[in-house]
Amino acid sequence: MIERGKISAFQMAFLMYPTIIATAIISVPTIMASHAGQDLWLSPIWASLLGILMVVTAYRLNKMFPKMSLIEYSCLIIGRVPAKIVGFLFFFMYAHDNGFVLRQYGEFLIDSFLPETPIIVVIGSMVMVCAFAVRGGVEVLARCAQLFVPVMLLFLVLINALLLPELDPSHMFPVLEKGLGASLMGSVPAQGWFVEFIDIAFLLPFLTDREQGLKWGIYSVFAVMLTMIAISFVALFLFGTMIDSFNYPVLTATRYVSLADFVQHVEALLMAVWVLGAFVKIAVFYYVLVLIASQWLNLSDARPIVFPLGFLLLPLSIWVAPNLQEMSAFFSTSAFFYIVSIKGVIPVLLLVIAYVRFRFGKKRGDKG
Amino acid sequence: MRFVYKAARKRKKSGSDHPSARDLQPENPQHPLSADLNENRSILESIYADCMDVVIRDFLIAGETKALLVYIDGLSNIDLIDQHVLAPLMQASSKPGDTDAMVQTKVTVSERKGLTTFAELIEQVAKGNPVLIVDGQVRAFAFGLAKWDKRGVEEPVAESVIRGPREGFTETLSVNTSLIRRKLKSPALKIKSIQVGRYTRTSVAIAYVEGIAQPALVEEVTKRIQRIDIDGVLESGYIEEMIQDYPFSPFPQLLTTERPDAATGALLEGRVVILMDGTPFSLIAPATLFSLLQSPEDYYERFMIGTFVRWLRYLFFLFALTAPSIYVAILTFHQEMIPTALLLSVAQSREEIPFPALVEAFLMEVTFEALREAGVRLPKQVGAAVSIVGALVIGQAATAAGLVSSPMVMVVAITGIASFMIPRYTAGIALRILRFPMILLAGMLGLLGLMLGVILIVVHLSTIRSFGVPYLSPLAPMKGRDMKDVLFRAPLWALNTRPRLTGDSNLYRQAPGQKPGPAKGDEHG
Repeated sequence: MIERGKISAFQMAFLMYPTIIATAIISVPTIMASHAGQDLWLSPIWASLLGILMVVTAYRLNKMFPKMSLIEYSCLIIGRVPAKIVGFLFFFMYAHDNGFVLRQYGEFLIDSFLPETPIIVVIGSMVMVCAFAVRGGVEVLARCAQLFVPVMLLFLVLINALLLPELDPSHMFPVLEKGLGASLMGSVPAQGWFVEFIDIAFLLPFLTDREQGLKWGIYSVFAVMLTMIAISFVALFLFGTMIDSFNYPVLTATRYVSLADFVQHVEALLMAVWVLGAFVKIAVFYYVLVLIASQWLNLSDARPIVFPLGFLLLPLSIWVAPNLQEMSAFFSTSAFFYIVSIKGVIPVLLLVIAYVRFRFGKKRGDKG
Repeated sequence: MRFVYKAARKRKKSGSDHPSARDLQPENPQHPLSADLNENRSILESIYADCMDVVIRDFLIAGETKALLVYIDGLSNIDLIDQHVLAPLMQASSKPGDTDAMVQTKVTVSERKGLTTFAELIEQVAKGNPVLIVDGQVRAFAFGLAKWDKRGVEEPVAESVIRGPREGFTETLSVNTSLIRRKLKSPALKIKSIQVGRYTRTSVAIAYVEGIAQPALVEEVTKRIQRIDIDGVLESGYIEEMIQDYPFSPFPQLLTTERPDAATGALLEGRVVILMDGTPFSLIAPATLFSLLQSPEDYYERFMIGTFVRWLRYLFFLFALTAPSIYVAILTFHQEMIPTALLLSVAQSREEIPFPALVEAFLMEVTFEALREAGVRLPKQVGAAVSIVGALVIGQAATAAGLVSSPMVMVVAITGIASFMIPRYTAGIALRILRFPMILLAGMLGLLGLMLGVILIVVHLSTIRSFGVPYLSPLAPMKGRDMKDVLFRAPLWALNTRPRLTGDSNLYRQAPGQKPGPAKGDEHG
């Protein structure tokens, strides 16, 4: 066993929440609005269905192979060589995905707060911090998440509450002007975020209360969905259908905050709090990446590869896209298919094959 | 015995760089006493050669049997020795048969202990107990007649409270254990003793309440203390540094207290208290970050005030860590966050300052730390002079000279006050050290740097454990039941359960449903 730490299902939910929401919160309203218009708040509901599917898939697979992660049981399900290919795909996917997340993080900070700082410094410092957390193992990540998520939520609610006087609910009408299709279209890019719930396939083996995993996984999906709906509403009520002209609508929204001429320009505060969420997200991705790499290569200890992989992530985050515009275009068009084809389709296929082989065939599944 | 000594000395002289543990032992511990008084005497004289404070007194019991009395001048009560040991034995008329019987009948001292080896003898003599050796006997006797000058029980200096007991631990172990025993009268209070230090032979006591403290915890503490092999322990800090889990952490992983009430409270929570001879500071294991931020007085005042003060402390704990770096970050990177009117006045006061905010902050913080350290070491007579000079350096003069801006002075002052709010001094030290890298990060990356610093600290805090207990518990990992004593100070009648440290034994500390209220049904009183 590479990881000796244990977390509870409750902690897993705390880990997953910022893992999905951290980057979603800054850019998803724009992407959803570009397809769904004023119905963007419906899109997270459709998208969350995929999240639930991923949680159920991961949970079912884990139930058949309790102490194994996706990389380990794929060996048992589809054989060694295909499993190594799947493992490589996942390794590459997570590395690439983490590159995207780091880049988004860097671009967001450079664009809005630190225009003169080289992006490599911003990303590099974050990778360093995450590397220390990842070395600490899943327990450390979970504890950090447990501390940071309430702080993040508190400030988000506070900032949005200060926006209340500016909100105009009439922007949401007419509801379903273009039928359900528009909001369904809007949900497609959002599913790119919800499919990340497959991360729990790597966390479930470390749970102390595995039977609670499904419950808390689904709670986490709901929490993410509700948060997305809430920020969609705030963005919609504030900007109307103009949302899609802002790169970072939530950030822009905070510029409207003004309380007693004293509390104003709280963007920097939002950024500071958001960094906590981004840290958890990047660290979880990083952790899963390290876990995949060490399980794929059958390493006995994951710690020695933490820093090398971090060093790999740094240039990867620069290479993933030439600039912010191309990256945004990628995320509102083809990213969904790319991410879902690996993180979504492969686990579901594995589950189907496992069912066919072990449930309808001989009962051999309860190893490990 | 003597040849053992010489051999040891010779080996030392022959000069290996890493002397083995045995070479450094001052004497062979298990050498038995001889029946021949002269041999015992010569061995004792070689052991205590050049020890002018050791008295070896010959006398005759009942005018016939030769005997020796060994004690250390100044550690034993000579009046009582004369009265209760020497006088009855020397004036005894009958011929002594067995020393046991002799001592039984003649020596009127309550504490008595038989010894058979030199090691035991040396230990007893060092404790101040006079030892009696009689010719022809292989058994010697130690009498509990130790007495030395010690400080009385006084009010603890480093942990003062407004409401609460005024007594503090002293440098004497027996006084300290008695202070705890007086508060905790149940025989379930166990106090184990271990000797630490090759030369100092310091008595270290491990106190715990049987049935509340986890046996594994007690065992682990005992094991770690037994493992210590150094020449001497002069303060409980030595022990702390030798038994903590993460030696490279700036955060203390054991609590220190000089208050018997705090120690007793910890015992009742299932913690282990380590007391030591020679220092009033006892150690409490395990410790968590939140236990560092709690004062015994939280429980003595009304619970609302306790809760309020705790929150104030948490806030200022963060302040002590981040106040200067927030100031630097906002002034350097995020000026837009400051309301215009305030920004103008800050800008005005900074107009003449030649340094960037980062340098200014460093300058002031270093000066403040220096003043603080100087203030601790000052002889009392010059204290007043330095505090006047300090006030000038940090305050008016520096501002007037245009070296620092007045907002910066304020920030440093608030930080200083904030760090004094932490009830445990050692936790404050961690923050004082961490403040400097935080300022540097804030100066380089603004609020982002500040947050990265905070994240790093949180990552570190969630990594470390103190004797198996996660340092950030009960917040992370979250234990809802224990929140009542962390996020609030729940009223005593609601504090039904003990905090969960490593196990769940003896969970309930009191009967449930003790919420007080006016008597019901007795309307016409």
